[in-house]
Amino acid sequence: MLHRLGRAALYAILAVWLIAVVFPLLWVFMNSIRSSQEIFENPFGIPWLIVGSPHADNAGIPAPWAAAKQNFVAAWVKSNFSSFFYNSVIVTGVSLAGILAISAMAAYVIAKFPFRGNKAVFLYFISGMMIPAQLVLVPLFFQFTEMSRFLTRLLSPLGLEVQLHDSLSGLIILYIALSLPFTILVLTGFFKSLPGALREAGIIDGCTEYGVFRHIMLPLSKPGLVTAAIFNFLGLWNEYLFALVFVNASAKKTLPLGLASVSIQAQYKTDFGLMFAGLVIVMVPTLLVYILLQRQLTRGITLGALKG
Amino acid sequence: MKTRGEQRVFIFTFLAPALFLFTIFVAVPSVRALGYSLRQWDGLSTPKWVGLKNFITLFKDSDLFLVAFQHNLFLMFVGGLLTLALSLFFAAILHRRVRGASLFRVAFFFPNVISSVAIALLWVLLYSTTSFGVINSLLLHAQQILAQMGVTWPRIDLPFPFVDSKYVIYSIIPMMVWTATGFYMVLFLAAMENIPETFYEAAKLDGASEFAQFRHITFPLIREVFTVGVVFLVIGSLKFFDAIWVMENQQPTSDSHVLATVLYQKVFTEYNVGYGSAVAVLLFILVFFATLVTLRLSRKEALEY
Repeated sequence: MLHRLGRAALYAILAVWLIAVVFPLLWVFMNSIRSSQEIFENPFGIPWLIVGSPHADNAGIPAPWAAAKQNFVAAWVKSNFSSFFYNSVIVTGVSLAGILAISAMAAYVIAKFPFRGNKAVFLYFISGMMIPAQLVLVPLFFQFTEMSRFLTRLLSPLGLEVQLHDSLSGLIILYIALSLPFTILVLTGFFKSLPGALREAGIIDGCTEYGVFRHIMLPLSKPGLVTAAIFNFLGLWNEYLFALVFVNASAKKTLPLGLASVSIQAQYKTDFGLMFAGLVIVMVPTLLVYILLQRQLTRGITLGALKG
Repeated sequence: MKTRGEQRVFIFTFLAPALFLFTIFVAVPSVRALGYSLRQWDGLSTPKWVGLKNFITLFKDSDLFLVAFQHNLFLMFVGGLLTLALSLFFAAILHRRVRGASLFRVAFFFPNVISSVAIALLWVLLYSTTSFGVINSLLLHAQQILAQMGVTWPRIDLPFPFVDSKYVIYSIIPMMVWTATGFYMVLFLAAMENIPETFYEAAKLDGASEFAQFRHITFPLIREVFTVGVVFLVIGSLKFFDAIWVMENQQPTSDSHVLATVLYQKVFTEYNVGYGSAVAVLLFILVFFATLVTLRLSRKEALEY
């Protein structure tokens, strides 16, 4: 009897936490299709879009469908979420490709070639895991100014002007460099687990070292690359601090940055429908990736922690 | 010999991009941060060497740096302990084959994939003092129900301004626990699933209770991963930035500052690069030693099986 009561209590606790975690999410989605007026009048019920508005006969109040559409139009078009979204896709996509390519190359060499200084190189990269982003933030800010000036002078014969501040390329370079330690750690572990005989076989069959890497090792390391890609995707898509410091121009803002600045105006104008719609736009891509790849993601956490 | 040389070229070309980027954008700035922290500089004029003066000023700054550091420690101990307790509890429950375990696991983890800015804003909305503020509405209901039963305690004027500067550091704790619990639960659960089932069978034969099994089998065997979790939490609460910055509309006060927001404000709004860099260097030292100490402690006590 006691045992059964205890079990019921455990389920009750789990259910409470489940509601606490899932309800806010549903609430955001529901409020994103309500007008600001409905958010105040009917914040917790089923949206009027589904059950019908009590103000249906009042022409002065927009129909639920129009209100829902208006939130997303206000966010996507008027508040430039389309541009934030585009910037985030570019920054995350290019950084991700760069991180994976550069880390895979370095990790493969570290894992499979016992050259002199191999251990030192590995430790050099891994020491970056101990460095908090905040430590390099300020010097990088000034370094970007110096480098922009230097590169502009260097490229002046070509008439090119280099500006690393307020540019997506600047942000991408930083994201790649800062993600290297973690990614190299994960991928080195992965390449070490691949049999070295594969390389020898490839060489005997007339492959070059590049060929072995490109056609044998890289395809085999796909699970490791996927894990590294998921973690870096989530981290970069959601990154705020560096974007905040290095991007000021509205046209170059990424989603977290854009959401933060739009929300200040939205709260001021009490346009909460806009704010909820903005939250939905930011949350949907990572939620989709999570739902599709949650198995690889949770396996990656285990991998990182058990090895780390 | 030719192939030896070729291999060297191969090794070098594969390492070069990573070495170059890491050196220029991580290693060099790390060293420069130390240099800045020993200078007085407004970002424009010639920097002036001042030795350890920035660090001394910092520790005398009881209204800013020391308060901010206390806030970090508050988040670390209160937020961290609550997160660890809850996530261990959930992991232990799910580990013992509860029905629907995978549903709970997937759902509890999901706040971790959402942008920290979005989470902070979501909680601003949840804490709102207007009619749609979920938390104030719930508290109001609870107060009314208690009042009907004749209980008028605690006397709090609702709606309560949770995200007011004065209270925001406390209001962040539920947000932090809400977000992090799922992550640590998944971490601990994965470690628990590596424990051989035979250990539990033997314990059951000996009549050990569920709690005794947890205390004497599960916990000792996941201790190493548990330590990793502690390191993550310590580092995370030292580096805490996004939520405070967003909830305070980019203007924290001495009621709400943490180390990272002090750093940002000093450098980018007050142009006091030396002071800000001193905070950054201390942050690094704290992260470094916290990691080292915790890992050292765990190595000694790690159990093999």
